[in-house]
Amino acid sequence: MAPPALAVWLLKRRLSGDWLEFVLGDLEEEFHSRAAASPSAARRWFWRQAIRCAARPLAHHAVRLTPAASGDSNVSMILSDLRYAFRTLSRAPAFALAVVVVLALGIGVNTAIFSIVNTVLLRPLPYEQSDRLVRLFHVPPQSTFPGIRRFSVSPANFYDWQHDARLFDGMAIYGGRQFALASSTGAESVVAGAVGAGFFEVVGTPAALGRVFSPDEDAPGHGRVAILSDRFWRSHFGAARDVVGRTITLDADAYTIVGVMPARFSVLSWGAAARDIWVPMAFTDKERAVRDNHNDAVVARLKPGVTIERAQAEMNAISQRLERDYPQENTGWGATIVTLQELIVGDIRTTLLMLLGAVGLVLLIACANVGNLLFARGLGRRKELAIRSALGAGRGRVLQQLLTESLVLAAAGGLAGLLLARISLSVAATILADQVPRADEISIDARVALFVAGATILTGVLAGLMPALRAGGADLNDGLKEGGRHEGAVGIRTRRLLIVCEVALSVVLLMGAGVMVRTLVALRQVDAGVDTHNVLTMRVVLPETRYREAAQVGRFFDTALARIRAIPGVQFAGAIDNLPFQGGSVQPIVHEGAAELLPRDQPTVAVRKIMSGYLQTLRVPLLRGRDIAETDTNVMLVSRGAAKMLWGDVDPIGRRVTLPLEEKGVLKTVIGIVGDVKTDELSQPPMATVYEYRHESEWRFRTLVARTVVPPTSISQAATAAIQSIDPQQPVTNIQTMDDVVDQTLTSQRFSALVLGLFATLALALASVGIYSVLSYIVRGRTREIGIRTALGARMFDVLRMVISEGMWPTLVGIAVGTVGALGSAKLLEKVVFGVSASDPLTLAAVGGTLAAVALLASLVPAYRASRIDPLDALRAD
Amino acid sequence: MWSKQSNQALGDFEQLVLLGVLRLGDDAYGAAIRQEIHNRSGRDVSINAVYTTLERLQGKGFLRSWAGEPTPQRGGRRRKFYALRPSGEAALRQAYRAITAMAGGLEARLGAK
Repeated sequence: MAPPALAVWLLKRRLSGDWLEFVLGDLEEEFHSRAAASPSAARRWFWRQAIRCAARPLAHHAVRLTPAASGDSNVSMILSDLRYAFRTLSRAPAFALAVVVVLALGIGVNTAIFSIVNTVLLRPLPYEQSDRLVRLFHVPPQSTFPGIRRFSVSPANFYDWQHDARLFDGMAIYGGRQFALASSTGAESVVAGAVGAGFFEVVGTPAALGRVFSPDEDAPGHGRVAILSDRFWRSHFGAARDVVGRTITLDADAYTIVGVMPARFSVLSWGAAARDIWVPMAFTDKERAVRDNHNDAVVARLKPGVTIERAQAEMNAISQRLERDYPQENTGWGATIVTLQELIVGDIRTTLLMLLGAVGLVLLIACANVGNLLFARGLGRRKELAIRSALGAGRGRVLQQLLTESLVLAAAGGLAGLLLARISLSVAATILADQVPRADEISIDARVALFVAGATILTGVLAGLMPALRAGGADLNDGLKEGGRHEGAVGIRTRRLLIVCEVALSVVLLMGAGVMVRTLVALRQVDAGVDTHNVLTMRVVLPETRYREAAQVGRFFDTALARIRAIPGVQFAGAIDNLPFQGGSVQPIVHEGAAELLPRDQPTVAVRKIMSGYLQTLRVPLLRGRDIAETDTNVMLVSRGAAKMLWGDVDPIGRRVTLPLEEKGVLKTVIGIVGDVKTDELSQPPMATVYEYRHESEWRFRTLVARTVVPPTSISQAATAAIQSIDPQQPVTNIQTMDDVVDQTLTSQRFSALVLGLFATLALALASVGIYSVLSYIVRGRTREIGIRTALGARMFDVLRMVISEGMWPTLVGIAVGTVGALGSAKLLEKVVFGVSASDPLTLAAVGGTLAAVALLASLVPAYRASRIDPLDALRAD
Repeated sequence: MWSKQSNQALGDFEQLVLLGVLRLGDDAYGAAIRQEIHNRSGRDVSINAVYTTLERLQGKGFLRSWAGEPTPQRGGRRRKFYALRPSGEAALRQAYRAITAMAGGLEARLGAK
């Protein structure tokens, strides 16, 4: 066993000639005897000895034996600077702590945000050659779907694409399914992905256990096989290795488990509904031939070297052929290719980059603050530095010493910041999971560590350079002569400049946070067309295997609603297929007697199925006509917008229409007009909507809603029990209030507002601390002057005004500079704000006012202290 | 002279090192002295400090030194041996006298820890 090679190398570098021989010999000799007892302890001992030798190499003390080797001086100088830095800092623990805390906050928030950016934007997706993975979408006719560029795909079109396309290695169709899982604990709902043949090959991920589906399993009658996600395998099978071959009962059918996917295969992050289980798509021939109903997703792998442009050109050619061959279904329908990466992170990129910019500003403010603290300290140490200079330390030498100190502080701040980032990321994990795609992959890796190192060095140099330059350049004579007393006049300008910077950066951040908060408020105040308070919602999906008949389905939901209405505290109850903000069907609509036009010329409406009671429950106003009654069949309510779009000024009541996509030739009679309801986003105008009702229906997916006079969540259990009293095996999912449903549409705005608000608060706190410290310092430096003024008759008010204006001037300049900066950066924010301009003057005024008020507060304490200066004391102290 | 005297007085660690050299006799080299001090006084000092002190004592004329033969258990490297000169023994004796004189009558208190 040999001593640690690195330590030996260090000794060889630091010792020369005979000394190297004697010392190394001694150390090696003792190392061997120690290693016999404990090798690791011996190594540690060797390292300790080597470091102590290297820190103070013998050659210096024993000049007679060997002259110092050239090049040694640099290393030993740095080491001695380091030692000196540690010593002086340990003598000013409060100062060191303040600096480390400020830097830890600055570096910590930066590291946290960068970790997210790193994972989401920089790290490749966890699939093999993920840059070749793309998603294919339809582009719908813009006349009927204005602004919508990506649309789900119909099966028949997909199979034509798959057959004709040459530039892809593979293409697979997939979609979401929901199953009721029979379990010992009762009913449970599982989210499944139904995948077409080749899906796992296209994505390029083999099963961790067992196998993926074979092509022949993607056929009706052969599809009773399932693959588990890692999560589901752990939660439901205790990660049993022998799970392959067992069966699982989904919707009363037995599925054989053939494989388990690895944990990194998180399809959740790219919008496929599957996170628990995968089953084969197993379309029937009839289902494969559907061309006009667009409900499925497509993933594909480009051939190596094929660009998106070439593949897009090929898809365009195929689409044109399909338009010619199937004009009735495909006129106006194109295709578009989006890389998987873009699809997953495209929406969040702007937000993340904005946050990264904002957090960079926080770091700059932290730097300015630390610069301020270092500066004050540097001035307090003028005498010490002057003595060092007098003893022969060059200006560069002093500069190096001071920079070493600030780098030591920055390193401590960086380490603490890294820790802070880790903690805050794990605390924020649940919030992040809702906000950010790939949130489950967020971690601190080598790139983040590199970022922290860079940020640390940058802050150390940035914060330390200006104070070090100023202090290093201080007049030697003054420093010695005055003994560090009249320091008031020195460096005030530099420190004012730092305040200006802090305030200006704070203005930009506060402005960003301000407009995001106002956006949130504006969105919350948008009238969605429904009254969301005191409404409980829950989703029930009846499995086809157990509820085959329309009559069975109808009976189930009728009973469920009746029992929910009977719960004490429930005022109304009803049902709809898709709640507002939760998506839903959009279909062409045709007037009675009119010919069905090409899809691109056909007006389309959002189609919702409702049960009676829905309108009262959500307080959707009935404007004309009557509400649906339980006995109705094939009736329809239209929203005000739909009435205007379809009939103009003509009274629509009594008119009849068909929804050809749903049921060709079935006429539905309009019986009433209801208020407009927002369907997609609060910031978008409401869509023309029709509500249809038919008592007997195979409509198995329903969201039940209940208006309560008690807090809605208090009846959740009673409502679940009411439904399961009909069928104990029936899962009830998504139990939440309607307020929560609306809230979920605001998550991205809330995230931005929250994070920006946090940064802005941090900036404000740092800036006020900065102003306070500078003013305290100025007051201390001008004690004598103030004393003389007071002795000469200046009143307390005059002194107060003098000190406060000292703090307010740089603040006001900072506000002015920051305003310019905020207006400049408004362009970046304009895309994400709603109901307010990103350069909103009112918000800007409030921000300026806040900063001025905070600066005033920060000035008050030093000003008060100055006004209490006793002229006698001040003069005597000289 | 005052300054001369202060130069000749031995520091605490210098005493330990000189005693180490004295104890080890012909076998007084860096690592052995270091271990002797460690084992007897409990002070785990660095080899660096030992050599620095040895060199300083040699500079004061208390010690002489020579290089030994290469030995295999230290990778064929030579040892550097030290031995007391008469002036070194005198200084050590003086230091010992001073400490015993000062400690006279206090043995009970100093010994009972």
